[in-house]
Amino acid sequence: MSSNINNKITGIGQILRKDWQLYLLLAPMVIWFIVFLYTPMAGLQIAFKDFSLFKGIYGSTWVGFEHFQTLFNDELFIRSIGNTFLISLYSLVFAFPMPIILALMFNELHHAMFKKTAQTIAYLPHFISVVIVAGMVVSFLSPTTGIVNLVLDYFGFEKTYFLTNPDYFRPIFIGSTMWKEAGFESIVYLAAIAGVNPSLYESARVDGASRWQQIWRITLPSILPTIIIMLIIRIGNLVEVGFEYIILLYQPATFETSDVISTFIYRVGLQGSQYDIATAAGLFNAVIAFILVYSANRISRKLSSSSLW
Amino acid sequence: MIKRLLPMLVAGIVSASVPTTSAAATDDYRISEKPLEMTIHMHFRDKYAWDENWPVALKAAEMTGITLKGVASRVGTNSQEMFNLMMVAGDLPDVVGGDALKDNFFKYGMEGAFLPLNDLIDEHAPHLKQMLADNPSIRKAITAPDGNIYYIPYIPDGKSARGYFIRQDWLDTLGLKQPQNVDELYEVLTAFRNKDPNGNGKMDEVPYFARQWPELIRLVTLWDARSTGSDAYHEFYIKDDTVRYGYADTEYRVAIRNLAKWYQEGLIDQEIFTRGARSREFLLGNDLGGMTHDWFASTSGYNESLADKVPGINLVPFAPPASPTGVRMEENGRIEVKPDGWAISHANEHPVETIKYFDFVFTDTGRNLFNFGVEGEHWNMVDGKAKFTPEVLNSDKPVNAQMWEIGAQIPVGFHMDYSYERQWTNDIALAGIDMYEKGDYIIPQFSGIAMTVEERKIYDKYWPNILTYMLETQQAWILGSRDVDDDWDNYMKRINDLGFEKVQAALQSGYNRQYK
Repeated sequence: MSSNINNKITGIGQILRKDWQLYLLLAPMVIWFIVFLYTPMAGLQIAFKDFSLFKGIYGSTWVGFEHFQTLFNDELFIRSIGNTFLISLYSLVFAFPMPIILALMFNELHHAMFKKTAQTIAYLPHFISVVIVAGMVVSFLSPTTGIVNLVLDYFGFEKTYFLTNPDYFRPIFIGSTMWKEAGFESIVYLAAIAGVNPSLYESARVDGASRWQQIWRITLPSILPTIIIMLIIRIGNLVEVGFEYIILLYQPATFETSDVISTFIYRVGLQGSQYDIATAAGLFNAVIAFILVYSANRISRKLSSSSLW
Repeated sequence: MIKRLLPMLVAGIVSASVPTTSAAATDDYRISEKPLEMTIHMHFRDKYAWDENWPVALKAAEMTGITLKGVASRVGTNSQEMFNLMMVAGDLPDVVGGDALKDNFFKYGMEGAFLPLNDLIDEHAPHLKQMLADNPSIRKAITAPDGNIYYIPYIPDGKSARGYFIRQDWLDTLGLKQPQNVDELYEVLTAFRNKDPNGNGKMDEVPYFARQWPELIRLVTLWDARSTGSDAYHEFYIKDDTVRYGYADTEYRVAIRNLAKWYQEGLIDQEIFTRGARSREFLLGNDLGGMTHDWFASTSGYNESLADKVPGINLVPFAPPASPTGVRMEENGRIEVKPDGWAISHANEHPVETIKYFDFVFTDTGRNLFNFGVEGEHWNMVDGKAKFTPEVLNSDKPVNAQMWEIGAQIPVGFHMDYSYERQWTNDIALAGIDMYEKGDYIIPQFSGIAMTVEERKIYDKYWPNILTYMLETQQAWILGSRDVDDDWDNYMKRINDLGFEKVQAALQSGYNRQYK
């Protein structure tokens, strides 16, 4: 038994010595992970403590699951979970396929100049800060001077104050995010498409396949592993809806559909200085995200052969 | 326990060993013969940090012998975070100051981070002691639930803050008078909406607008309801020694019904919830806005600055229109005690010298220094009063911004002198301020409740959700997507289900302990 362990240790030692240059290259990242991601995890304990800044993380008293109880008895927190899932789910359905479709479309363009221009225009919004995008959304949707309402008015529809109506929040949020990110996200798929062996297309053309059939039978199956990986990552982020953009767009009037976990944490935890409850909410968030990624990965490994690990 | 006793013990030893010099001597403010240097963490208004090279700080150091060395980072952009970071780091400086720190001073003072100042004030700070004896309400407001004082506050001077402003030139064009009551106001705003006072042939006027949407909710005072109790939005108020909340009063229902009607009829800026901070410049600059509720000092400057762009613009303050019961109420005024100021940390080895330094700021000389800057450089004594030099008054920069740059008018524990502001307030604003003060329209601002740990727990647990629900419903009612009369009973039931009565009871017990 013990000789077995000893053998293993000497084995590891040999491997380390043999490839030390590679491990040296790896070291900065490992250190970075330990210092900035694993060490701060000790701070997660404040989710189970009555946290006081002055007493510190270790000096504060334990309260067990009190903060979790508070959260789950809180209907606004429950509502924010629901909103988070709905927003993520809708973006999964509507926003996730967008970059794939876009990439396929770019791929079919043969005029090089036009293709480059179209791609650049599609990437551009990614580089605009969310603050500016939110400002644009607010002014486009303004009930008196916004272009959207002017058009509606021109065609005889009634003007609408979109940003104060909870029913419009999700379409506005997902639509504008789509506009901002779809172009940039399509790069990954374009790269995947570029990796498809051209001889596949050539033989398909010899067999008389139409362009539509080529996309359907060759391009899509070839980039499927990429799509799956992107989907798994996306599912991992299902409970993470970034709060900056929502805070820039929401109003008390639209909290009903717009208040997500991260904005809830922001309002309660940071503005209300209740770091312990905020940490509890964040921890809950992380656990759910982990379960989601893990199951998505399992399913993907079963159904197709590609998976993250 | 030991942690809490230790600072007091240290304070005792220090005060016993240092011979007490007469701090009240008029022209000698020296506290320490040997130059003494202490550290101060003070980051405020999300932008500024204490700088020992400010002319005011240098002068104070020269007069008292004490130099406070700033340790807060000057690149920070969030004062609350800077304070939190300092607390977490654990290595407290000698003095901690800043704005909106009262609750933190109480909370961490009771945990032992800051020294109780009661005995120090009694023994070593005659001016502070006198001030607190003269103003029992200030003393109450800064006393923590355990009976100790943990910080020396910023005490504002003057009463007025915001007031109602209207386009007098529009009134004249339409042959109308300034509205004296809420019905007349309704007629005036309707006329602004329909009769094209800006004369461009379009119905593009925005009768009532505001930079912050809670200033729309402030209009509920026109129907005797309340939107807040202090100079911050959405706070509790006090009526007959009971803690009340405006959004749960029956008057509020009537008021919201009317505001919803006004909104529906276009008397209120249709984009008031999203237009944001630049709406005043935009709407006045494009000759669109008719009436607002905003700060006297900043709002009265537009007639001059927009004279070329909007010829004839005449935006003037007017008295609050009377409610149906005949009350003219200006809800927003200056609070008696700010939640700003400074405190002595438990790590301070010279608490007696520190409190004497705090006391120096409350002497006449110290008060002038922290209000007006350095005598001879920024101001001169004229007829026994501090007068700014022409260079300060005629500079391109506003006087308050100049003062912040030299370390005056900052949220330390000091007593503001309103004559500092009067000297550079324009005549339009001064007339408005005098009208509001003479008419006694401004109602007293409540300085807030110091909660015990248990009370705060209840407040923290229930209040954020109740407020979220109330604001959500409020906007829905005003925007017309829901109806206040249909909803009211459910609304009242819902806020109680969310814990409103518990919060109210906790605050009431705090109020009784602190003020009764």
